[in-house]
Amino acid sequence: MAKRITIDPITRLEGHGKIEIFLNDKGNVEKAFFQVPELRGFEKFSEGRMAEEMPRITPKICGVCPTAHHMASGKALDDLFHVTPPSSAKKIRELINSAFMAEDHTLHFFFLGGPDFIVGPQAPAGERNILGVIQKVGLDAGKKVINIRKRLRNIITKQGGRVIHPVCNLPGGVSKGVTKEDREEYIQTGKDAVEFARFALKAFEDIVLKNKEYVDVIVGDIYKHKTYYMGLVDEDNKVNFYDGDIRVVDPEGKEFAKFKSREYLNHIEEHVEPWSYIKFPYLKDVGWKGFVDGKDSGVYRVAPLARLNASDGMATPLAQVEYEKMYDILGGKPVHNTLAYHWARLVELLYATERLLELAQDEEILDPDVRNIPTAVPDEGIGVVEAPRGTLYHHYKTDDNGVITGVNLIVATVNNAASICMSIEKAAKGLIKEGKVSEELLNMVEMAFRAYDPCLACATHSLPGHMPLEINIRDHETNIIETVRRL
Amino acid sequence: MKTLILGIGNPILTDDAAGICVANEIKKLFLPNVEVIETSLSGISLLDYVVGYERLIIIDSIKTEKEAPGTLYKLKLEDIGNSATPSYSHGINIRTAIELGRKLGYKIPKIIEIYAIEIKDNTTFAEECTPAVKSKIPGIVDEITKIIKSDSPPS
Repeated sequence: MAKRITIDPITRLEGHGKIEIFLNDKGNVEKAFFQVPELRGFEKFSEGRMAEEMPRITPKICGVCPTAHHMASGKALDDLFHVTPPSSAKKIRELINSAFMAEDHTLHFFFLGGPDFIVGPQAPAGERNILGVIQKVGLDAGKKVINIRKRLRNIITKQGGRVIHPVCNLPGGVSKGVTKEDREEYIQTGKDAVEFARFALKAFEDIVLKNKEYVDVIVGDIYKHKTYYMGLVDEDNKVNFYDGDIRVVDPEGKEFAKFKSREYLNHIEEHVEPWSYIKFPYLKDVGWKGFVDGKDSGVYRVAPLARLNASDGMATPLAQVEYEKMYDILGGKPVHNTLAYHWARLVELLYATERLLELAQDEEILDPDVRNIPTAVPDEGIGVVEAPRGTLYHHYKTDDNGVITGVNLIVATVNNAASICMSIEKAAKGLIKEGKVSEELLNMVEMAFRAYDPCLACATHSLPGHMPLEINIRDHETNIIETVRRL
Repeated sequence: MKTLILGIGNPILTDDAAGICVANEIKKLFLPNVEVIETSLSGISLLDYVVGYERLIIIDSIKTEKEAPGTLYKLKLEDIGNSATPSYSHGINIRTAIELGRKLGYKIPKIIEIYAIEIKDNTTFAEECTPAVKSKIPGIVDEITKIIKSDSPPS
């Protein structure tokens, strides 16, 4: 018979969400690091497989953003096989990706940002949780969130084949067109999703913007880093999640670089720290100067706020209005306040839903010609998309038969790894003085985490199914003097 | 009793797939009134699946490092930590998803049983479980199948 046990609350994969804070001999913060577990052997696992398998394998890296991996992988295969998908196929892929961005941003705002912004940064810890969010927005609004996510995910299921790990992308296009009946459903979902996004922005305005205390937290100095920003843009330098050039702006908001996917290695290098297997990407032309911000440091950021900073606006009308409003209130571009990621995420939610509706209404999406068969010899391919948590790079090399010989991925959050360490360090410096650790430390670190929503090496699904946050505080001889954790 | 079996895991991360492997074997038995879903989804998204069933059986992996790989544990929902204050999207687990579903008034299964399989390695990319876990899977399948067939879950 099965054994009965009670799970040790910290039973988990070693290293998950572990934060190490090192103090100097006076007991003040010297440096702070964020560690995640190492998943081993992805490159080796991929080598020797047919390249076409990659869009089905790579989504399994992550249980939260499989669709983004499927998209980046599909684009990498187009490049690898030197084939351009028909316009209809591109639109179908973008439709799926838009549905995914919308459902993921919805989840994030209500369930992750919610505890900080809907319930409030000063609310008692016991209420700052998902159930507290539901209490505040009401049961009907809670159901609205679950319902719209389900309908958006239905688009991914129908077009992608499977919601968890979509299988529709092939080199040169997609495996399935859109039927008239499904299109009608997508249009209705798109319309309702746009309304939902407006509802979310209204809730943000009512609950957050009308409350001076909240606004002060957003625009305050905490987690403010003057970094470079990166994101995909279309030909008008407007935000695009699926395609375009990669644009980088400097800490003053001026264009620093704009390049094609294929050129990414000319612009990005990765720094290695002895204490972590994570590589910290930085801008090659600026150089690695450590975990610091400013124009002379190659640290850059990605994901919602970075995308908005790196662009000249949104490609859809309602989102453009919200984009302008955000920068008006926060004092112009670029915005460096990390907590503004939550607001930028909602602007992007509206854009994703408007774009979804535009694509669903486009007649071309019914065109049954959804694939161009590749005929060229494969060699090397790079695919880049915007995932909810930032710019995602897939790079494959193959032999003449299309058998994988090399793989390089830069997953979205890794781009933000350096600034996550910087935010933690900044919070810790204010809350640890002469060896005394303020009770606020855990809350403040969590707030930074939620803004970035780190998504590193999270491919495991073992129980307890969530990753407790743990902070080790070490003295100048690296002995642990205190551990605080959220179970 | 309308039953859902949810096999949770990552099929390309060695033993992480243990729950999926067991669920897959049970699926082949075509038990009446039992639906089997294998999934790699996390958190709130699991809620979409479970609504409408009377009985939910979750099969997942666990790494306590206290027992031999392949050991089967029976857990209650309350045994899993509450994750209602997540720090990241991956920070929401099934217990919180179910509590949220109940709060929102969805029809959540009244009976929820969780079976967890002690594993050895969930950090290496591979499509097969380690031999120690793999060899225990048939026995675990038999055990869980017997419990399902009895239709009266042991308390």
